[in-house]
Amino acid sequence: MSVDPGRWYPIASSSDLPLRHVFHGQLWGREMAVWRADDGHVNVWENRCLHRGVRLSIGLNEGRELRCLYHGWRYANRTAGCTYIPAHPADAPARTICNNTYPAIEAHGLIWSALDPAEDFQEHTLLVGADVLALRPIPVNAPPSLVAAHARSYQFSPTGAGGADVSLIVETDGFLELRSTLGDMTTTLLLFIQPVDAGRSILRGVLTTRPDTPMPVLHHHNRAMSALRDRIEAEAATLDAPDPISVSFTPVDEELAQIPARARSGPKAELRVTVARKWALATDIAGFRFEAITGQLPTFQPGAHIDVHLPNGMSRQYSLTNAPGETDHYAIGVKREPESRGGSACLHETVQQGDVLAISAPRNNFPLRRDALNTILVAGGIGITPMLAMAQTLEAQSLPFELHCFAQSVAHLGFEEILGRLKDAVTTHLGLDPKATGKTLAEILKTRGEEEHLYICGPGPMLQATRAIADRKGWPDEAVHFEYFKNTNEIDDSSAFEVALARSALTLQVPAGRTILEVLHENGVEMPSSCEQGACGTCLATVIEGDPDHQDVYLSAGERAAGKSIITCVSRCKSKRLVLDI
Amino acid sequence: MTQACKDPVIHNQWHPLTSLDEIAQGLVHDTVLLEQPLSYAMDDTGALHVWYRTPAQPAHTPYDPAKAGNALPARSKHGYLWTCVGKPPKDLFPVPELLEPDRQNVPTGVFGVNVSAGRTIENFLDMGHFPFVHTGILGEEPRTEVKEYDVEISESRDEILATRCQFYQPKAALASESGADVEYVYRVPHINCALLYKSSPGFEAEGRMDVIYMFLQPMTREWTRAHTGMCVIDLENSYQGIRCFQQVIFGQDKPILENQFPKQLPLDTRAETPIRADKSAIAYRRWLSRKGLTYGVIPAAV
Amino acid sequence: MKLYDYELSGNCYKIRLMLNFLGREYETRPVDFYPGREHKSPELMKLNPLGQLPILEDGDLVLRDAQAILTYLAHKYDPSGQWYPVSDPDRLGQVAQWLAFADGITATASSARLHDTLFYELDVEAARAGAHRLFRVLDEHLWFAEQEGQDWICSGDHPTIADLACFPYVILSEEGGVSRQDYPAIRRWCDRIKRLPGFVLMSGVFPTSQSAA
Repeated sequence: MSVDPGRWYPIASSSDLPLRHVFHGQLWGREMAVWRADDGHVNVWENRCLHRGVRLSIGLNEGRELRCLYHGWRYANRTAGCTYIPAHPADAPARTICNNTYPAIEAHGLIWSALDPAEDFQEHTLLVGADVLALRPIPVNAPPSLVAAHARSYQFSPTGAGGADVSLIVETDGFLELRSTLGDMTTTLLLFIQPVDAGRSILRGVLTTRPDTPMPVLHHHNRAMSALRDRIEAEAATLDAPDPISVSFTPVDEELAQIPARARSGPKAELRVTVARKWALATDIAGFRFEAITGQLPTFQPGAHIDVHLPNGMSRQYSLTNAPGETDHYAIGVKREPESRGGSACLHETVQQGDVLAISAPRNNFPLRRDALNTILVAGGIGITPMLAMAQTLEAQSLPFELHCFAQSVAHLGFEEILGRLKDAVTTHLGLDPKATGKTLAEILKTRGEEEHLYICGPGPMLQATRAIADRKGWPDEAVHFEYFKNTNEIDDSSAFEVALARSALTLQVPAGRTILEVLHENGVEMPSSCEQGACGTCLATVIEGDPDHQDVYLSAGERAAGKSIITCVSRCKSKRLVLDI
Repeated sequence: MTQACKDPVIHNQWHPLTSLDEIAQGLVHDTVLLEQPLSYAMDDTGALHVWYRTPAQPAHTPYDPAKAGNALPARSKHGYLWTCVGKPPKDLFPVPELLEPDRQNVPTGVFGVNVSAGRTIENFLDMGHFPFVHTGILGEEPRTEVKEYDVEISESRDEILATRCQFYQPKAALASESGADVEYVYRVPHINCALLYKSSPGFEAEGRMDVIYMFLQPMTREWTRAHTGMCVIDLENSYQGIRCFQQVIFGQDKPILENQFPKQLPLDTRAETPIRADKSAIAYRRWLSRKGLTYGVIPAAV
Repeated sequence: MKLYDYELSGNCYKIRLMLNFLGREYETRPVDFYPGREHKSPELMKLNPLGQLPILEDGDLVLRDAQAILTYLAHKYDPSGQWYPVSDPDRLGQVAQWLAFADGITATASSARLHDTLFYELDVEAARAGAHRLFRVLDEHLWFAEQEGQDWICSGDHPTIADLACFPYVILSEEGGVSRQDYPAIRRWCDRIKRLPGFVLMSGVFPTSQSAA
C-alpha cells in the first residue's frame, strides 16, 4: 500500500471521543488531534499548534474551543481558527491564524478522515441504514500491506464456537469483506486497515448487524484479532522495519510569518451566506442567522463585526452575538433606526429568510482582554450585541464579569435566552432617562478595582457620558474600551490641506470633499479601515506634526488634546500641513 | 537520524559534559556527544581528561591513561567540564557573576530531554508559557500579558541579549503572598547555552540579579542533556531548596518540549507563527541561520 | 504524618495523590534524591535500608514502599472503605492483582524514564518493550471495562488504590519514550483520574479540562 491521500479511512471509533477528551490519531504518518465539541461536532486537526509545534492532542478540550497547553492559544470548534492569544490580551489575533484541518465524517460507529479527499465520503453499501457494531480496534506494529495480506486469513465465528467457515467476499486496497458461516448462522465483517505509518497499522472491524448480546462477540473478535496481530508482528519482526513516512508541514502564510498583520480593508464582501433564519427579537429588533452556502465560515472573536452588503447597495456593520465555538453560523441583531438611511430598514423590510447576502469576514476592532481580574460590560440598547459575545466568552472561561443592560423596557431588551443563561451576571436597567442613566453609571463605575476593565457599546450620547464618568472616577483610558455604532457628528469636509507621509516619503493633497483615507487609498497607500465614518478606530494614524481637526467619536478627550493621533476617514487638519507616521 | 554529524558549526564549539561536582575522582565516566560515545575522568591530581570511548576503559573502572582512547581537549569552566570534537575556539563565553566572591554556583542537575537543543533554548527564553506551564510559580492566569521588551544581537560579543523583560509572578517577593512584575534579562552567548538574570530577593536595590543557566549537551539531534544551575547571592535557601525549585520547573517544561513537532528547531520563518512576544526566539532562529548551523535544526530552504 | 518526598518521583506522587484524595494534612520532607543521593544517606538508610523513596512516618509507624503505604493510608483513613475495599473479597482480590501489575509498570515504564531522564544504565529497549506489553493488557482491560460502564481498573463505581498505583508511571511514560498513542482507553482513563476531586499535578503531568457540565 502506498500513501493514498485521496482515500477515506476510519481513524477512530465514535467511542474514542467522549466529551472533553482529545484523541491522538494518525494516518499515513500525519498525526491528528481528534476531538468532539460539546455540540457534537467532530474535529480532526493536524496535531500541531501553529505557534510552536506542540501537539494539540495534549491540549484541553474545553467544549467550544481547544486550548494549547503551552501558551494557552485557543482554537475554535469547526474553524480551527485562533480566537485568543493570552500573551497579547489587547489584540485580536489575525483571523487567518488557523490550524490545518482534515475532513471528518462520523458514520457506523467510526470517525472517517482523509488527508486530501479525492471525492465525498461514500457510505459502504452494506452499512447504510444498518444497526452495526464497531469492534475494539487493534493496533499492529507492521506495515499496512503486511497486515492486509494476513487479514485475509482472519478466522472468526458467528457464535464464537469453532468450525466456522470464513470466506473472503471482497478485497480492495486496505479493506476486506469477510463472511463467517456456522450452521445457519452468518456474520459479515468489514475489516478496514488504517495505515498509521509505514510500519504501523490499525485493524478496525465493523459487523454489519449488531448482535443481541454484543459483549461475548466483542470479546471473541478481540481475542481472534489479537492472535492475528501476534502472527503479523512475529512476521514483521523478521523483516526490516520501514522508515517512518517523512511528513512535511505546510508553511504558514507569509503574512503570518512576519509578526504584524492587519489586512487593508474598507467594507469587504468576501463571503456569501444564506439568511437561515430571521425573527423578531424584541421591539424594533430583528435577529438574523447567516449560514455558509459552502464550506466553513471564518473564525470570529468576541467583539467582532461583519459588514453586511444589502440588496440596495449599502453596507452596514453589525456585531456578532455568537458564543465561542458557535461556528456553524453568524448571528446578529438589527435595530430598526427611525431615521434609517436605508440600512436597517432594508434588513427589516426587504431581506427575507432564504435570501443570499454578501458579507465580509469578521473583523475585530473591539477585542476582549481575558487577563482582567474583573470585567464590566455596559450595553445601551442595541449596543448589547457585542456584549453578548463577550459575556458568553467570559462565562465559558469562568472569568468574573458583570453585564449591565440599559434598555427602554423588557420588550426592547430582547435576547432573553442568552441573558437567561448568563443569569446572575446580568443586571438590567430599564426605562431610565439620561440623568438616571448617568447616576446609575456613576454607581457602576464608582471605584476601579485592581486590573478591572470596562467595555461599553451603545448610542453615542451614552458612550460619551460613560467615558466622561469613567474619566472622572479615575479609570485610565487603556482600561476603557468602547465601540460606537456610528458617528453622529456632522462632518465638515470643507477644508483643504496637505498630508506628508513621513515613512513613505510621499506628499499628497487632500481637497475639500475628500477624506485623508480616500486620498491614501487612491495613491496606493495601505491603510486598514472599516466603518469609514469615524466610529471604529481602525484607520487611526499617528500624527507627527500639524493640528488635527477631530471629527470622529473614537478618540478620547485626552487623546484629542494630545493631538498625536487622527482618525483618517473623517478627521482633517486645521493647519496647512499634516505629517503622519505612515 | 543516525548519520554522523558533519556540521562544522556544531563541531567547532565547546560542549559541556558534566558538572565537576558529579565526577567521581579517579573513575571513568561514559557519555555521548553529537552521536559519539565519549569517556571522561578526573585523575588523582585533579586534571581532566576526555577521550573517544574504548572498550579497554569501561565506565566505573579506575582511570588508566595508558588505556584511554584518542584524547580530546578538556577544559574546566563555570564549574563544568567542556570538550570539543572539532577545532576548539580560543575562548568560552564569560559569566562574570560566577567570579563574584559572595556568590555560590549551585549545579541543580543534568536531565535528559527527548528534543533538540534548539527547542530547549527557545523554551528557556520564553515567558509567555509561565502562567500555563509553571502555574502558580512563575505565572498565573489571568495575568498572561508579555509586555514589550528589547532584543539585540550583539555584534561585538556575538550573543543575543533580551532586556527590559518583565512578567507577572505570583508570590514574587520574599515573605509576601502578593504577586508583582519580575524583571528578567536573557543572554544567549553560545548556540546551546543560555542564561537568565532575575532580580535577587533582598538585593533589588543594589540591582544585583540571580543567574539561572542552562548549558546543553547535544547527544543526538533529538536527545539533549540539559545541565542546569543557579548562581545566587548569599544563600538564604539551602542548596536543596534551589535544586528542588529548578527541578520542578524543568520537570514541567520537559513534557511540553517532548511534545513539540518537529523535534528539531525549524529555522524557516514560515514554519511556525511568531507573535511579538517571541522576539527573542525569532532573533535566536535568525542568529542560528546566519551561523549556518544544520545540526539539530531544520535549515530554512534557500 | 510526614512524607519523605522527591517531586519527580512517580512513587512519591502516588502517596501525594492518595493523601489529597483523602483530604489528609501531611508534612513533606523533601529529599535531594538527585543529584544529592540523599536517599542513600545514613539518616534515610536508617528509615529504609533499601535506600528508596517514598517513606511515610505516621506517629511511631515508619513505612516504605508506595503500594504498602497506599494500602495503609486507604485502610486507615478512608472511612467509606472504597479506596481499599476490604469488605468485598472480589474487589480486594482485583486490587491486589493490579497492585502487582503496577510493580510491573514501575519495573518497565519507570526504568525507561530513568534511563532517558537521569541516565540510568539499563537496557532501555527491553524496558520500553515491557511497558508496551503491559499497556496493551491495561488498555484492553479498560476498553472492556468502559463497555460495561465501568470507569476504573477494578469493578465498582469508585476508584481504588490500584488506579493510583498504576497511574503515575503510565502518565509519565512518554518521558521514557513510551508513547500512549496506541492505548486510547488508557488515555481516557487518565482523563478520568485527573477529574477526581482532590487531584493534584506533579511536574511532568498535564492538567485536563473540566468535564462537561
